[in-house]
Amino acid sequence: MDILELVNFYIIPGIVLGSIYALGAVGITLVFAILRYAHLAHGDLATLGAFVALACVTALGISPLLALPMAIVATAAVAVGIDKVFYEHLRNRPKIVTVMASLGVALMIRSVIQVVWGVDTQTYSRGIVRPEDYFGLRIRDREFYTVFAMLLLVGGLQLFLTRTKWGKAMRAMSDNPNLALLSGIDNKKVVMLTWLVAGGLCAAAGYFLGLNTELKSLMGWSMLLPMFAAAILGGVGRVEGAVLGGLVVGIAEELSVLWIPSEYKAAMAFVILLFMLLVRPTGLLKGKVL
Amino acid sequence: MEILGLVNYALYMAIFIAIYALLALGLNIQWGFAGLFNAGIAGFFAVGAYTSAILTSPAADGRIGGFDLHFTIGWIGAMVAAALVAWPIGKICLRFRSDYLAIASIGVAEIIRLVIKSEAELTNGARGISNIPRPAGDFGYMESQIAYLALVLGVLIVVYLLVERQFNAPWGRMMRAIRDNEDAARAMGKNVEFRRLEAFIFGSALMGLGGALFAHFNRSITPEAIDPMVATFLVWIMLILGGSGNNRGAILGAAVVWIIWSVSEIATDQLPHEYAVQAKYIRLFLIGLMLQLVLRFRPEGLLPEPLRGDLNGRGRNTKSGPANQ
Amino acid sequence: MKTKVLALAASLMAATALAGAPAHADVKIGLLGGISGPIAAMAPAMIDSAQLAITQVNEQGGIGDGEKLVGVVGDSACNPQNGTDAATKAVNIEGVAGIVGPHCSGAVLAAAGSVSIPAGIAMITPSGTSPEITTLDDKGIVFRTVPSDDYQGRALARTMKEQDYGKVAVAYLNNDYGTGLANAFKAEYADELGGEITQFAAHEEGKASYRSNLAELAKGDADTLVIFDYGDGTGLTILRQALENGFFEKFVGGDGMKSEAVIDALGAENLVSFVASSPVGEQSKSLDMFNEAFKGAGGDPDAIFATTSYDAAFLMALALEKAGGNKDEVAAAMMEVSNGEGEPILPGEWKKAKELIAAGTAIDYKGAAGDQNFDENGDVPGTYALWEVGSDGFEVLSEMK
Repeated sequence: MDILELVNFYIIPGIVLGSIYALGAVGITLVFAILRYAHLAHGDLATLGAFVALACVTALGISPLLALPMAIVATAAVAVGIDKVFYEHLRNRPKIVTVMASLGVALMIRSVIQVVWGVDTQTYSRGIVRPEDYFGLRIRDREFYTVFAMLLLVGGLQLFLTRTKWGKAMRAMSDNPNLALLSGIDNKKVVMLTWLVAGGLCAAAGYFLGLNTELKSLMGWSMLLPMFAAAILGGVGRVEGAVLGGLVVGIAEELSVLWIPSEYKAAMAFVILLFMLLVRPTGLLKGKVL
Repeated sequence: MEILGLVNYALYMAIFIAIYALLALGLNIQWGFAGLFNAGIAGFFAVGAYTSAILTSPAADGRIGGFDLHFTIGWIGAMVAAALVAWPIGKICLRFRSDYLAIASIGVAEIIRLVIKSEAELTNGARGISNIPRPAGDFGYMESQIAYLALVLGVLIVVYLLVERQFNAPWGRMMRAIRDNEDAARAMGKNVEFRRLEAFIFGSALMGLGGALFAHFNRSITPEAIDPMVATFLVWIMLILGGSGNNRGAILGAAVVWIIWSVSEIATDQLPHEYAVQAKYIRLFLIGLMLQLVLRFRPEGLLPEPLRGDLNGRGRNTKSGPANQ
Repeated sequence: MKTKVLALAASLMAATALAGAPAHADVKIGLLGGISGPIAAMAPAMIDSAQLAITQVNEQGGIGDGEKLVGVVGDSACNPQNGTDAATKAVNIEGVAGIVGPHCSGAVLAAAGSVSIPAGIAMITPSGTSPEITTLDDKGIVFRTVPSDDYQGRALARTMKEQDYGKVAVAYLNNDYGTGLANAFKAEYADELGGEITQFAAHEEGKASYRSNLAELAKGDADTLVIFDYGDGTGLTILRQALENGFFEKFVGGDGMKSEAVIDALGAENLVSFVASSPVGEQSKSLDMFNEAFKGAGGDPDAIFATTSYDAAFLMALALEKAGGNKDEVAAAMMEVSNGEGEPILPGEWKKAKELIAAGTAIDYKGAAGDQNFDENGDVPGTYALWEVGSDGFEVLSEMK
């Protein structure tokens, strides 16, 4: 197999898929690190973001790309609202209770999506897009957008976390909540910010999944497990780790077809994860040990 | 007819609740006693269900078995197989704590699911195994349900008594000590790794038994039954809602959650006829909402873990929940 | 608080009991489908087309002495747990006289094993294609209007061989539907007819990218890709990615791929090299009658399994009429109303059928999805046609033998 074929049909799809996983995994890793529980409604929240964007496209007739910011804002707001209504009062309880609550939220979001938008498979735009040829590399516009948007959003988030007061507060909460609270950080604001960021990224993940394939009411749920694998693979609490983890999982899934039967493709994320946890329990980049 | 129908429905509900209660008890050993976050229940459920199916179903082409054995051998085989599968998994994964163990066990369960779905020589692949005999299945509809319920309840009571006995025995105290303060338990000379593995294997064997009971009740087992939602997350909801660390809570949780799960459909069927399909989506919302309400008002579970040493007082013990990491 | 929860559960139960009591002498049949779960996108059209049959029955005189036929919708969620649950409720709470569904084979097997066989309630599935259903020890009460995968896979193989498709690659969904079709196709195409299958690979559903799968499938220089999957699920993703990346020149699908969603998403202009097999009645007039009626009711006749669902519900109604409302005789009556002998009844001809049954004349239902003549296992042989994408939807390209 020549190298171009390898890049075109295995590596590039892997990077695109990995970028989508990364967008979800960053949110998961932030919630994990700051609020300290596994948020199981993340996939369905991503589906919601994708469908909000679809609603913008069909109702306002704008191009799908313009719908992305709207979906991000709307989903971020929904995420904050969900936290206020369903998670906030459980904050001092064992974390497992919140995990269960998030499972209930996942069912509720899915139900809302199915009632409002129906269950038919939908797309942002009809027809197919053949890739452009760049010196033998075959890349579609929307794949550029996916990867660039991911880099942009995550880069922006990284700047926010390292350069701004509130970003630093979020990191402080993640490193040592007691110390952070003692030093006067407003817990409520940090939690709200976390949900704004996680919700927004979630919407982007769902949107790009929908842009690259189709929109289905269960699309987010089936992405949940690989996204979790990516977050833990990268090292919990590490934004750049989640990106790396997402890319590794995405590329590995695509490459796996070369060696193992394709029905086991979905297992690839977990095989890597198990191997990783055995040899390096902190994740690729040194994350927190929970 | 109407009354008979309700009785049949109630019998069916009781059977399903008892089967799920077995799974919840198995999880309670792992999470409630030992603090092991096993999110791969579906995997052990599947191993048990398929083992018993292969052992007891009549011979079939294209896969190993069936061996047409007595169902008791199937059920024991299910427990043994689930325990055997749990052993290496526990050996490797129990060194991860908490959330890492959760994602690792989800991964293992997914791999088990894919193997079951793809390896047709072993499990008949995606088509599953049917014609599994149900004990006392030759009677009429209600009689056979009653007989099966008696059998399942018998199993559940025996398991409950055994687990409850262990829970109050020194072994149970030791497990909780390991859960609540691993270092202290280690300093007392307890073999933490071995004890955890023990709890993991016991719990998994019960899950395997639950899987076997499920397969025999439906007389078939297909890969769709090991969907993480209905075989893993649902059991977690049952345990947390019922009260982890409390065996009666686990059983009560199974009952409440399954009743919500099943009866919510009848509730949403009251919507006008033209919304018959939408009603099923709204049902999911209702299930999620009920879950939230119970968690809102009883976050420590319906029957919280009793405060040990004060068995008569049954004080509320919200602080030392196992998840208090 | 515990009491509150229990009270809530109890009141739900009580509501159930009240709702369960029949207000008037309706005849109920259960319509169980995978409304939530992996085939959520397919289920609504299937339920709707079954409801169409029920509406037609009621418009043309109802069951028996003009009693109303009522479809009770249940969610089998495509898994055995919910399948058993929904069937138990339908049989015991609603007191249905027969069950149309469930949709997925796993739910069919479980619901049959734990509810309908012990309770003796006839069951007819429009989409459970697993061969396990054929061999089920079902005391003759489990039927289906969709042929076992074996028929279609082999028929498709023969047709493709006749039309000189040459080397092909096969991609199939790793569930009972995809596996069954793919294996039957392989057995006929490669083993019987000596055709060449270059690649034969299963895939999991719900992944975002199948391009590496396609690259693997393309190895071996086949120019035709055979897809056994659902056109509003993974099959659509695979077809899209194959078209976009220029893998393969021709595409052939099973009946699951003949979905309006494919045309909606990809555009008819991109689908000139795509054909799909789908069941069709020997008298294609049956299908036309169904299409017209279903369009009139606002449905999409090209939806996957819409025709088989309609046939299942209509057959159930015919059997109920024949059995005179006696639940225990529905299964035997089912055999009689569609065994190839008697006055032909086409979709929607309820009034004619009712009069003939009253007169004691034998009838034979000719369904929208084939003649639906049951064999002793309650299976039907299929009659198929290859469909291509025309300017307004799918059009018959050629008959299949």
